Amino acid sequence: MGGKVSCTLGEVKNRADLIIYWGGNPAECHPRHFTKYTIMQKGKYVPNGRKDRTMVLVDIRETPSAKAADIFLQVRPTKDFEVITLLRAMIKDQPVDEAAVAETGLSLEQLRDLVARMKACKFGVFFFGMGLSMTRGKHMNSAALLTLAAEMNAFTKFVAMPMRGHGNVTGGDVILRYTTGYPFGISLSRGYPRFNPGEFSTIDLLIRGDCDAALILGADPGATMPQPAIEHLKRIPTIVLDPKVTHTSRLARVHITTAATGISAGGTVYRMDEIPLPLRPPLKGPYPTDEEVIRRIREAVAKKADWMPGMNGVVAAA
Amino acid sequence: MTTRRFLMNAGRTSKQGVQINVGKDHAEYQAIVNTVTMHPDDLKELGVAVGGTIRVRTEWGETTFQCQEGKVPVGMIFVPYGPPTCRLMGGGTDGTGMPTSKGWEVEVEKV
Repeated sequence: MGGKVSCTLGEVKNRADLIIYWGGNPAECHPRHFTKYTIMQKGKYVPNGRKDRTMVLVDIRETPSAKAADIFLQVRPTKDFEVITLLRAMIKDQPVDEAAVAETGLSLEQLRDLVARMKACKFGVFFFGMGLSMTRGKHMNSAALLTLAAEMNAFTKFVAMPMRGHGNVTGGDVILRYTTGYPFGISLSRGYPRFNPGEFSTIDLLIRGDCDAALILGADPGATMPQPAIEHLKRIPTIVLDPKVTHTSRLARVHITTAATGISAGGTVYRMDEIPLPLRPPLKGPYPTDEEVIRRIREAVAKKADWMPGMNGVVAAA
Repeated sequence: MTTRRFLMNAGRTSKQGVQINVGKDHAEYQAIVNTVTMHPDDLKELGVAVGGTIRVRTEWGETTFQCQEGKVPVGMIFVPYGPPTCRLMGGGTDGTGMPTSKGWEVEVEKV
């Protein structure tokens, strides 16, 4: 089964009575999530706010978010997929092996209680973080949870939403999706989009040394990516557009200082529920926006002769 | 020298998030990303005091961290993402595009 059964955060605010955070720590990473959208708000169908909602936290360690939770389920590291698979069986009244449950660090009673709450709620939501998607199993863990959310709709309304990280990462995915059909790991080298994570994704390209130039926009891979990828960025001509001096701008051949989005540059950002929000910059700054720099580079490139003889004006985007 | 295997769990904290915007050259950011949180029993077993230094090694690299104790399970170390964790990460993504940065096995020894 594929796909994501999801909703907007407005629906969560007005309807959700069971909120399950899985492998995420919103108290530290999304500090306004509780108060603006999930547990604290009084909504149309949850008029008593916090009293009408149950919050469950599933994680491998007791993070500060556990204080806000009604139920904290501490899973053994790398056992998330197993817990989700057990839950998928239990919601369908399939027998499960007690030894398999014990391996996850949880008890059968805890899982039965969770299943009962999931089936009894009117509107349930899974918010999942990098604790699920970047640990062993990776996208298979996310796929399992999305499938569980979809299957729960045989009993009640249930949705799932990833807890996205830095500003506007959702926007990157959404734009690539509606322009190419794929969210990331896309090659346009043949003139049409091809999607293959592991082959065309950034880290894999850098590690293998497939690319001989890099243009970095509003990111600091020099402080976040694995060291072999950083080493390749140092070897090739790397161009960085960033308002600040960063680890990446220091290793780059060219650093163009741009305006800070939302402060001195406008635009559109996408919230984690994929709702686009316009930005109104309160300040004026001396630096050009990312968009302006890219447009000017594009115009300059368009004036050059075709890079391959016989292209007849068709420019292959890379 | 006692060497023990731990499960390393990198993540985000609110202080680290604030410091990213203040500036990654600040001493406070450097202190945050160079400090690991461990269970008190693990610190005792390694013979490391709070504020002491450990060396963390993977098959791809090694780096040193300061220690603090906190609420993490025995056998796990938690560290905020930053340049030191980059040095420990390998290039493999298992065909997903994302490197493993949580729950990976590391060797730890007292410095």
